[in-house]
Amino acid sequence: MSFEFRVPGFEFMQTYHPITWLIWLLAATLPALLTRNPLYLTLLLLASGVTYMALERRSPAARSWSAFVKLGVVLLLFAVPSNALTAHQGRLVLFRLPESWPIIGGPITGEAMLYGLSSGLSLLTLLLIFATFNSAVDQARLLRMTPPYLYQAGVIAAIAVAFVPQMMIAAQEIREAQRIRGHRFRGLRDLLPLFMPLLTTGLERAIALAESMEARGFGDIPAAPSRRQTLYRAGTLVSLLALACGAFGSSYFPARRTLSVGLMTAAGMGLLLIFWMQGRGVRRTRYMRWYWRRQDTVVSLICGGVAFVLLAMWLARRETLLYYPYPPFSPWPDFQPLLGLALALLALPGLLLPGTEKAAEQKAKEQSDYSIP
Amino acid sequence: MIEFDHVTYTYPDQPQPVLHDFSLSVEEGELLLVIGPSGSGKSTLLRCLNGLVPHFYGGRWRGRLHVAGRDPVTVGPRGMSDLVGFVLQDPEAQFVVDTVEAELAFAMENFGLPQPLMRKRVEEVLDQLNIAHLRERPISTLSGGEKQRVAIAAVLTLHPRVLVLDEPTSQLDPQAAEEVLIALRQLNEDLGLTVVLSEHRLERVVQYADWLLYLPGVGERPIRGEPAAVLAQVELTPPLVTLGKTLGWQPLPLTIKEGRRFARRLFSAPTPSVPSATSDPPGKRRALRETQRSSPAICVEGLRFSYDDHEALRGVNLTINHGEFIAIMGRNGSGKTTLLKQMVGLLRPERGRVEITPNLQPPTSNLQPPTSNTQSLDTRHTSVDDIVRFVGYVPQNPNALLFADTLAEELAFTRKGHRLPPGDDMPLLEALGLTEHVHRYPRDLSGGERQRAALAAVLVAQPQIILLDEPTRGLDYQQKRALANFLRAQKAAGHTVVMVTHDVELVAQCADRVVLMAEGEVVVDGPTRQVMSDSLVFATQVNKLFRDPRFLTVEDVLMAGRLGDW
Repeated sequence: MSFEFRVPGFEFMQTYHPITWLIWLLAATLPALLTRNPLYLTLLLLASGVTYMALERRSPAARSWSAFVKLGVVLLLFAVPSNALTAHQGRLVLFRLPESWPIIGGPITGEAMLYGLSSGLSLLTLLLIFATFNSAVDQARLLRMTPPYLYQAGVIAAIAVAFVPQMMIAAQEIREAQRIRGHRFRGLRDLLPLFMPLLTTGLERAIALAESMEARGFGDIPAAPSRRQTLYRAGTLVSLLALACGAFGSSYFPARRTLSVGLMTAAGMGLLLIFWMQGRGVRRTRYMRWYWRRQDTVVSLICGGVAFVLLAMWLARRETLLYYPYPPFSPWPDFQPLLGLALALLALPGLLLPGTEKAAEQKAKEQSDYSIP
Repeated sequence: MIEFDHVTYTYPDQPQPVLHDFSLSVEEGELLLVIGPSGSGKSTLLRCLNGLVPHFYGGRWRGRLHVAGRDPVTVGPRGMSDLVGFVLQDPEAQFVVDTVEAELAFAMENFGLPQPLMRKRVEEVLDQLNIAHLRERPISTLSGGEKQRVAIAAVLTLHPRVLVLDEPTSQLDPQAAEEVLIALRQLNEDLGLTVVLSEHRLERVVQYADWLLYLPGVGERPIRGEPAAVLAQVELTPPLVTLGKTLGWQPLPLTIKEGRRFARRLFSAPTPSVPSATSDPPGKRRALRETQRSSPAICVEGLRFSYDDHEALRGVNLTINHGEFIAIMGRNGSGKTTLLKQMVGLLRPERGRVEITPNLQPPTSNLQPPTSNTQSLDTRHTSVDDIVRFVGYVPQNPNALLFADTLAEELAFTRKGHRLPPGDDMPLLEALGLTEHVHRYPRDLSGGERQRAALAAVLVAQPQIILLDEPTRGLDYQQKRALANFLRAQKAAGHTVVMVTHDVELVAQCADRVVLMAEGEVVVDGPTRQVMSDSLVFATQVNKLFRDPRFLTVEDVLMAGRLGDW
C-alpha cells in the first residue's frame, strides 16, 4: 500500500483572486484607520470576522493566525481598564479612587473607558483584517506578481522566503552536532563553532543555487541601449526629487497646497511611466494559474465601491467619521445607517466564498483517512 | 550530439589540469554513465557541457567542445540553458522558488514563453515524471526522491536535447534513488533524450548505460567503452561484478538475471539447507550472546515520541549489548534517526525510557561481567553533556560539525569540549586514512574525506558507544570498504556500534544484528544473516544471486570456495 505523507496547512486553495483580496484589504483597512467610532468599528470587526471564520473552515493556514487574533482580544480587554484607570478626563464620572494613589487615583470616567474600547477595537480589527488576508493569500505567490521592472527584486525576495526555513533546519542540525562534541555556550567565542558551519553551508547552498539559476537561463536581460538607460535613470532621479519637494512643500507651506500636490502627482506619474517603459524592455513572462471568477468581479466591485465611499466621505465630510469621547465632543457615537451598510458589505467575501461545502466534505474525508490505524 | 576535441582544463590556482587532452563523442539518444573516484573530475566534465565550466569557475581552457551544435565556451550557461538541462547532486540546493509548479515554470519565465505554452508544458512534465499530485506542494515538504524528480522536471520544461545529472541519487535512500533512475530511463528510452550522468551506485544503473566513461583521476587516461568492458578494467565495481571478475565469468554479468546463469553452474549440486562452516557454530554463538545479554549498553523500553502532531516512535523496545554491532534499517520517516537521537539524549522520551549503561571496564575486556557499581544513565534525568562522555553521535551531514581551520584543530576542539587532555591523534587519523590531511581545511576535503573527518572529530573523545547516521552517503565502493574495515576494527576493540543506514552491502559486511523499523515500531530484530537472507528489499546482490542464506557478501562465496563447498 502506498502511503503519501500529507502535510496539512501547506496547500493554498484558491478562494479569490489575489487582486480581489488586495481590494478587500484596502477597503477594510481604510475605515479601520480612518475612524475611531466604536459602532462602525464593531460592524467592521463583525464583517471581517465573518470572512475570517469562513476561511478558517477551509484553510488550515488561518488556524496559525488564531494566536494573533487571541492576542488582539487580550489587548482589547487590557486597553479598556488601563485607559480608564490612567485618563481621568470627562464628565461621566463612574466612581472615584483616592487622589493620594499615584497615577490611578482620581475620577474614573465613562469617556476614558469608551476611548480605551475604541482604541482596542481598532487594533483588534486591524489584526483580524491582516490575519484574514494572510490566510487567504500565499505571500510567496503574491511576491511573484511583482511587475516586470521589479522582476529581479521579486525573485530575490522569493529566494529569501524559500531560503530561511532551510537555514533554520541547518542551524538546528549544527547546534545538535556541536552539543555532542561537548560544546557549551559560555561566551561570544563559543559562537564560532555554530556560526562557521552555518555560514559555509549557506555559501555552498548559494553557489549551488546560482549554478542552478544560470543553467536555467536566469539573468538573461537584454540590456537596453545605454543612452536610453541613462535617460531613465535621470528621469527617475528628477521625479524622486520633485516628489520630495512636493512633500516638503505641503507640510511647510500649507497655503500653497495645490502647487505641492500638483508637483507630487506629476512626479508620481513620471515615475510610473519610467517604470512602465523600463518594464517593456524585459523579455519575460509570468506563469500563473489563477482564475478570475464571477464572484471576484462582484466582490471587487463592491469592495472597491465601499473604499471609494469611505475615501470620499473622509475628504468631503470628515466630521462624520470623527469620534472623540472627551469634552467638548459628545461621548455618544454618531451612526449613519448608509455608512453602516457599506461596512457590513465587507463581509461579502466570507458570505460568497466559493465551494465551502466541497472543502468541508474533503476535510471530513481527510479526517476519516487519518483515523484509520 | 556531444563532441569533446582535445580539451584541457585547469581550475584557477591549481597546478594540474583536471581534464588533460580529453576527447569524447556521444551520439544523440545515448546514455553515458560517468564513473570514477571522488575528485577525479566527473563534476567538471559535466559542467563543461553547459558552460558552467569555464564560465562560472574561470580557469584555463584549451581545445574545442560542441554540444548540440553550439559551443558552450562561447555562449555560456545561459546560452546553453534551452539545450542542456542540468541537475545537481543536492536536491535541496537547486530550488529557486517555494512551490513545485512555480519551480517548473521558472526556466520558461526566463525565456519569456507565452502563458498558454507554459501551461501546456507544465502539465506535460508533471505527467512525464509522475509528480502531478505534488503540483501545489511547497518544495520543503517533499521527500528526497520527489525533490530530485521535481528538479529534473524543472529543466525539462525547456525541452532540452541533453540532460546532464551530477550524482543525482547520492543523497537519496534506495527507494528514492530507484524512483529517479526509473524516471531517467524512461526519458532516455521513450523520448530519446541524450542523458549524461555520474553515479556511485553502479548496480542500479549500469545495465541501462550505452557507454561507460571511467575517469581515474589526475595523470591517467580515461577509459571509455561498453559497460562490461570498462568494468572489467576498473577497481570500483558492484559486488556482482567483483565476484564475476574474481571467478572469471565471461561475459561479465551486469544484472542479477545474467549472473544467475553462472551461479547455477557453480552449484550444480542442490544446496544444503543446514548451516555450514561459514557461520559460527550455534553453541558458540549462543554462549557469546548470553555473555553480552548480561551487560546491556543501551536499553530502550516502551519509547514513544512525536514531533508536533506526527508520531515518530510508537512504543519501541530494544536492548543493545556492549560490544555489539547493530544496524537499524527501514524506510525514510520510519523513525530511525529519531531513535538514534533518543539514544544520545538530544531528544527525550515522551513516554517510556532510554537507559545508557556505561561499561566501567576498559573497553578491551568487555566480555567480563560488569562490576556491581555500574551506574545507568536515564536520559530523562541526565544532561546531554554527561551522556556524550560515553556515547558519540556522528550526524548524517558532516558539514554540520566541521568548522575549524585545520583537521587537527577540529579534534582539539572536541577534546576541549570533553575536558580531555591533549593527546596523540595520529593513530585515529591513520586508521581513518586522514594523516596527510591533518593540516588541511576540513571543508576543502572531498565528500568521503569529510565524512571520515567528522567521524574522527567525534571519535577522538573515545566514546564506548558509537552512533552513526547514514555514514555512507555519497561514498564510492572503495571508501565504503575502508569505512567498513574501520568500523569492524572499532567493534573488535570492544566498542558498541549502532548504525542507521540504507546500505545493505555495508550491513552485510559488518553488522551482527539488524533491526528493521517501520512506522515508528521495531518490526524485525535478529541476526544479520537471518534477517537479510529472508527479505526481498534488504537482500544483498550476492544473496539475490545465490538465494542462499550462507552467502551475503563476495567474501562469503570466496571463503566457501576455499573450503571446497563448490
